[in-house]
Amino acid sequence: MRVKDNACNEFSGVLLLYPATKTASERRRRTVVCAATLVFLFQASFICAQTESSDKPIPILTGNFGAFSFVSGGHNLIDTQINPVLLVPLGDHWLIESRAEFEGQFQRPTDGGPYGGPVTKHVDYAQIDYIASPYLTVTAGRLLTPFGVFNERLYPVWIRFLQPDPLILPIRTAPSDGAMFRGGFPVNSGANLNYALYVSATSIGIGSVDSERHVGGRMGFFLAGPRVELGGSWQKSLQDDRKNAFGFHMSWQPAKLPLSLRSEYARAFEGSGYWVEGAYRLTQIPFWQKAMRHTEFVARGQQFFVGAVGADAEDGLGLPGANTREADFGMNYFLRDGMKGIFSYGRQFSSAGNFNQWSVGLAYRFLIPLGPSGAPREMR
Amino acid sequence: MKLNLSSVAATLSTLILASSLLAGSPSAKRAAESTAVVRGSDDDSRRIEGEKRFHSNCGRCHAAPQKFPPRMMGTVLRHMRVRATITDEDQRLILLYMTQ
Repeated sequence: MRVKDNACNEFSGVLLLYPATKTASERRRRTVVCAATLVFLFQASFICAQTESSDKPIPILTGNFGAFSFVSGGHNLIDTQINPVLLVPLGDHWLIESRAEFEGQFQRPTDGGPYGGPVTKHVDYAQIDYIASPYLTVTAGRLLTPFGVFNERLYPVWIRFLQPDPLILPIRTAPSDGAMFRGGFPVNSGANLNYALYVSATSIGIGSVDSERHVGGRMGFFLAGPRVELGGSWQKSLQDDRKNAFGFHMSWQPAKLPLSLRSEYARAFEGSGYWVEGAYRLTQIPFWQKAMRHTEFVARGQQFFVGAVGADAEDGLGLPGANTREADFGMNYFLRDGMKGIFSYGRQFSSAGNFNQWSVGLAYRFLIPLGPSGAPREMR
Repeated sequence: MKLNLSSVAATLSTLILASSLLAGSPSAKRAAESTAVVRGSDDDSRRIEGEKRFHSNCGRCHAAPQKFPPRMMGTVLRHMRVRATITDEDQRLILLYMTQ
């Protein structure tokens, strides 16, 4: 209540400094400041009592490391990458988070000689999050664009089922620089709704050669009974031809089987396509259980249809230059928590040529406390 | 579609206010009541509920990690709340499950 009174006083004070002689733009700016101040102080009164944990979170450095060999059409590519993620909680409602990518891709030159290639580095996201209410988190900075779910949730090498990217991944998933509102809440006892709305002032595209402004959103419904999530994404460019893009996603984990199914569809000016993938963990196999429960078989089928931008532009965006189909099969073996060995085989079919794809490697997730983490509760 | 600072700020303010008001709405009260019911039960049932929420939410993307100390898991859960848009109640129950 006291906070509210202060809010009124402060708001009144701002209004008193609002001379009629100011220009229209200055008045508009002051109105925005007043509205923002009022909203912030209005929020403060009920946010204070939300967190009850006595174990204050500490900063941590997490992320993943991957070392892979990809053989596509007979050409070997050694790919090593490390993706550190820094998480810094501030107070009860703030979080600063950032992920960078350092990746080396080494190939043997066609005329022979030792392996060589570029080492690239870039920031995937660097954002500050404010948990404004149980239903809303406000985020600002460089953001992972929530178009579909692969880019935001499934991209890390220790999470993804298969290491080769889906063909449609580059569609509208370049990082956004702007602000986002997101959150989730129960619709009823059996369903949750999650949403994200964002606006990007600038977006640096693939290869840092493009920049655009856009708005978009994603919404998903999770049905707890059948463990199904269904959702859709939308994005509209705010420059040039102002094209729309749409996407849909689905995931299903049947309760009685160690099976996970996921799928995405995307449609945009630059192309369209879909992927469907599944993973089956061999935990129910009655023999060799020690090894079987660490083993997972995975498969993915996908298709891409070129858009109206031309083959060169498709290539520049990281998309295939021709209509393409691909099937991949693989196996993951979980050596320990956060570490898995991967192997996969796939074949790509397109008018540009058919070829095999092999991959083998290791993915590892690390987590390092940057402060006194304390002992687990059961050890106290 | 022309965007300017005022319209963006007005939209954002409306959304924040709407979320605040939603917290006091009947559906939010029902959610709060369900939270209270969960809180009222014993720790075991909360942990079981937390495990169920873990498999429903986190299991959609990855397998269960080992359990970390509470101060680390608090940060991880806050990160996942933002990244995976899990609900406030899910975050609390999963944190309980992952730290005890």
